[in-house]
Amino acid sequence: MTAFLALFALPLLCFGMGASSELDHAKSTKFCLSCHIMEPYGKSLRVDDPQHLAAAHFQNHRVPPNEACYTCHTNYAMFGGIKAKLGGLRHIYVYYLGTPPAPENIKLYEPYNNRECLHCHAGARSFEEGAVHTADPDLLPALKANKTSCISSGCHGVVHDVASLKDAKFWKGSN
Amino acid sequence: MLSTSPFDRKLQLSGILLILGLLVEALCLLGHGPIAFIVFAGLGGFLFVVGILLYLYSLVSARVEPSKQ
Repeated sequence: MTAFLALFALPLLCFGMGASSELDHAKSTKFCLSCHIMEPYGKSLRVDDPQHLAAAHFQNHRVPPNEACYTCHTNYAMFGGIKAKLGGLRHIYVYYLGTPPAPENIKLYEPYNNRECLHCHAGARSFEEGAVHTADPDLLPALKANKTSCISSGCHGVVHDVASLKDAKFWKGSN
Repeated sequence: MLSTSPFDRKLQLSGILLILGLLVEALCLLGHGPIAFIVFAGLGGFLFVVGILLYLYSLVSARVEPSKQ
């Protein structure tokens, strides 16, 4: 019985608790920005311009500031968190063993899905009754069906404009 | 010093692997970068899995000596 506890139950428990702690830590903004290549993306969260989508979300706590990257870049479908972390493993592979692109040339693996925006915005008054959203009766259903992209349709197109950071003004506040 | 009995030796090896796994995981929990995460899941997980499988294998492969009666 002691051998079972020491060689089976305890290691599983330790691994489970450790994995849970590591996964929680891997969701943190600090963790995502710990790779040098991501630094401009971290800077873009502090751009002092409400037109910059990521910055406006980060600075106004529309996403938890300590999990800002993960909140928008996880996948809110089944096993989305696992998919996001597997994608992270790919990033690490490219960063250490491949040829990482310049920060401004980093692209998403697939087009950004409105589902990730709607996870928070669906049902919110500002989204459902916003003047622009309701001006065309076909727009809201198209957004909800991911037929019209919130981002690439041009309405909320400036997300992380890392190419023009050197001309940007930055918010100095703490978050 | 490892035991000469195959069953005990497997248990001892399993214990050593699991202790190494625990050490690796404890060290990784002190780190904060992606490398710590990879070592935690890769090396630590590997040592744990091998240690646990070796323990289970030692149980199913143990020979019961027949009773003399």
